Amino acid sequence: MAKIKLENVVKSFGAYQVVHGANLEIEDGEFTVFVGPSGCGKSTLLRMIAGLEDISAGTISIGGKVVNDTEPSDRGIAMVFQSYALYPHMTVRRNLSFGLEMNGNSKADTARRVALAANILQINELMDRRPAQLSGGQRQRVAIGRAIVREPQVFLFDEPLSNLDAELRVQMRVEISKLHKQLGTTMIYVTHDQTEAMTLADKIVVLRAGHIEQVGAPLDLYDDPANQFVAGFVGSPKMNFLKADVVEKTPDGAVVALSSDRKVRFAFPLSTEISEGASVTLGIRPEHFAPPGEGDADLTVAVEVAEHLGNTSYVHASLAGETVVIEQPESRHRGDRRHLTVGVPVGRLFLFDQTGNRLR
Amino acid sequence: MKSKSRSLLVQKIALHLVLTPLAIVWLFPLWMMFVFSTMPDHGIFSPEIVLWPSGEFAANFRNLQADTNFIRAMFISITVAIIYTALSVMLTSMAGWALARYRFAGRTMVVAIILGTITLPFAVVVIPQFIMVAREFKLANTWIALIVPPLFNSLGVLFMRQAFSMMPGELFDAARVEGVREWRIFLHIALPLARPTMAALAIILFLSSWNNYLWPLLINSRPNMMTAPVALGTLIGLTRVSWGGIMVGAVLLTAPVLVVFVFLQRHFIAGISAGAVK
Amino acid sequence: MLSRNRAAYAFLAPYLLIFVTFWLWPIINSLLISFQNTRVNPWRFSLSANWGRLFGDPAFYNALYNTLIILVIQVPVMIALATVMAVLLNSPLLKARPLYRFAFFAPVVVGEVAYAAVFRLMFSADFGIINKLITSVGLSPVSWFDNANAAMALVIIAITWRWAGYNAIILLAGLQSIPDDVYEAATLDRVSKFQQFVHITLPLLKPIISFCVVLSVIGTMQLFTEPFLITNRGGPGGGTETLGLLLYRQGFTSLNFGYASAIAYTIAGLAVAISLLNLMLGGEKK
Repeated sequence: MAKIKLENVVKSFGAYQVVHGANLEIEDGEFTVFVGPSGCGKSTLLRMIAGLEDISAGTISIGGKVVNDTEPSDRGIAMVFQSYALYPHMTVRRNLSFGLEMNGNSKADTARRVALAANILQINELMDRRPAQLSGGQRQRVAIGRAIVREPQVFLFDEPLSNLDAELRVQMRVEISKLHKQLGTTMIYVTHDQTEAMTLADKIVVLRAGHIEQVGAPLDLYDDPANQFVAGFVGSPKMNFLKADVVEKTPDGAVVALSSDRKVRFAFPLSTEISEGASVTLGIRPEHFAPPGEGDADLTVAVEVAEHLGNTSYVHASLAGETVVIEQPESRHRGDRRHLTVGVPVGRLFLFDQTGNRLR
Repeated sequence: MKSKSRSLLVQKIALHLVLTPLAIVWLFPLWMMFVFSTMPDHGIFSPEIVLWPSGEFAANFRNLQADTNFIRAMFISITVAIIYTALSVMLTSMAGWALARYRFAGRTMVVAIILGTITLPFAVVVIPQFIMVAREFKLANTWIALIVPPLFNSLGVLFMRQAFSMMPGELFDAARVEGVREWRIFLHIALPLARPTMAALAIILFLSSWNNYLWPLLINSRPNMMTAPVALGTLIGLTRVSWGGIMVGAVLLTAPVLVVFVFLQRHFIAGISAGAVK
Repeated sequence: MLSRNRAAYAFLAPYLLIFVTFWLWPIINSLLISFQNTRVNPWRFSLSANWGRLFGDPAFYNALYNTLIILVIQVPVMIALATVMAVLLNSPLLKARPLYRFAFFAPVVVGEVAYAAVFRLMFSADFGIINKLITSVGLSPVSWFDNANAAMALVIIAITWRWAGYNAIILLAGLQSIPDDVYEAATLDRVSKFQQFVHITLPLLKPIISFCVVLSVIGTMQLFTEPFLITNRGGPGGGTETLGLLLYRQGFTSLNFGYASAIAYTIAGLAVAISLLNLMLGGEKK
């Protein structure tokens, strides 16, 4: 069990910097997910915590101890890899025991740990097979088992589910969640899939291009994103973004009009100063539109495609060249229409400046 | 459909009509090597055309052993080839592993030098090598002289480097996280996975050592330290020598590697073609 | 990781020591020696003793001429033959494939000395099996070892026998890396087998053919064992003396290391130059 602390952690390959001064605290027993698009530095950050990559600047501490110069095996961590990284020439049993064996762990204790891990993951029947004889899900279990036998203070997962098919992924996601409850160990989990992040995490760390964009509980990120990137990344389907302009300053905020339809206007209370005529972006999630007349303004869009999922439907529509996705409950009763009018409640709107920062 | 199968049949016959005579011509020298080794010298040098073996192999072998100590030479060749192959596979695997899986200062330079010089002919180093080994180290007519200098061969380094760099890196990271030491990762994970490549490499190296002629000819010219090809080579061109005996020597040099070739053909072919198809 | 890099050096060091001692340093040293007069004691720097002599030495020009003749005739013939072997061996119509593969590939494992001995015996003037076969069909026997042209032909035949299969192995691997669907598409387009060979197989095989040519050029430039053993030390009268043989004679019979080193560097220089030329010509059309 351990706290993890990152202070101004930098990673550069020659002149090329991939992580720019990351600061982060992870509490003991917390399930933290690093999420972001590929190339955002999330895996690099994880590998630095693991000790598989050198830290170019800054410090990383685990359990209050700075580990910058500590070998991976001495950091009290265990890692599950994307490709599972099972030793193909060894049986499942040997895969689990190999690391302990190589470090002179006693035979009895090794056997005890292996048996325990096999029980937790229910892989007792697989112990004498080789990785090639296992299915994807079984390999995944073995890979996790190999981490469990180390009895680590921290588990690290590097996109562990990305090689599984959709159904197995959901199943394993639940199992990892259970495992965390059962063991109560600190876990760090890297993924590019925001659904995994939302469902697994106590704390999500959103990364982009080597910067930490926001840290918070899943619903905090959903309800209160710090910027346009996080707003767009968290939530599915994605938040809609519409171009708008500040048309009038009011004592406690500003009035903003859609660029495509100047008649659609919203009055925002704002604490930040903004000049008249400034270009801004309005954000609204597909699920936050209201029935016509029930919002602060109505919006009429041209319907392009409707995806009916049964319990709900997503209407893909266009508004003067901008694409808008709208969630419509029970839309099957309304038939196909060329146009759709929805209400927009101002309380559900997010406002971003041109650089993507949240205006509030 | 009829016309299609007929044209296929014609193609098939033409193919075999071209290939069969060519194959016979190609096998002919090997067959004659065997036939000659079983014939008495007066039979070899008689006006008749003999294409079938007779029964003088043992007598010819005794003649060969009288002309040169061929058993001793075979012993040296086999021992040298085995030790050389083992050492070379070991050294080049280690070097290939270092170059494939670590980033360290000088790595690109080492690779560049190896790649840049691998096509240079052996002729370019034979004089300084000879001066160094024979004159400076005074190692002529020793086992070391036969085994160590040819270890420079960098084919294996490229070969093994290729094999190691194609393995998924997470495998070795997983072991590192588990606290397995680098040399144990190499020994317990990397090497077992590289076994097919090592087999192909070992066959090629064994063959090159077994058949090596110029270097052993230069460096070990004392009769009791000659390798088998060198010993046999000294007989070719002598006037009073048993040619049947020479042919027995040729058969003894060839038969073992032919057997190896037949049984390990796949590895052998993999070894030869690896350089070309990258 | 610092400790990990230290491990890398440890893995590399043993091989590197051998490599530098017995390859890298000798390459440099060879050049240095070629600028020394090694017939005086101690050796002295001299430009004329070796390099000066080389360009006026008829023996050098003779060896160079012979080597280039072998190169120009043998390499194309062998590569063409190897290509034919590879293409035919790759045919799905072939029966008893292992047998044919054995026939063509077996010479690859045969040692130079062993096969030199057999060729010498097979081609001997009076009672060689080849001359016996030639006379049995009514032609006059060839004096393979006394006629310079015939001796040259013999060397070329021998090398071709020994190395064609080697190149066929490489080319066959290249052929097998060409995907089948390319040929299936061509067949659907009514492209004949021969046209497929010319317009699909050859262009795709070109880099590999080029590789084979480079290997063969390097081999031929330092050709030694065949003229040494088969045609009796470059006979008749230097008729099959090659650069490799001249190097051996100067270095290890006359013990003139400086001159031999100059010849060695000439061999290496020519090998590199011809290889580069070939790669340039091969890479031109894309």
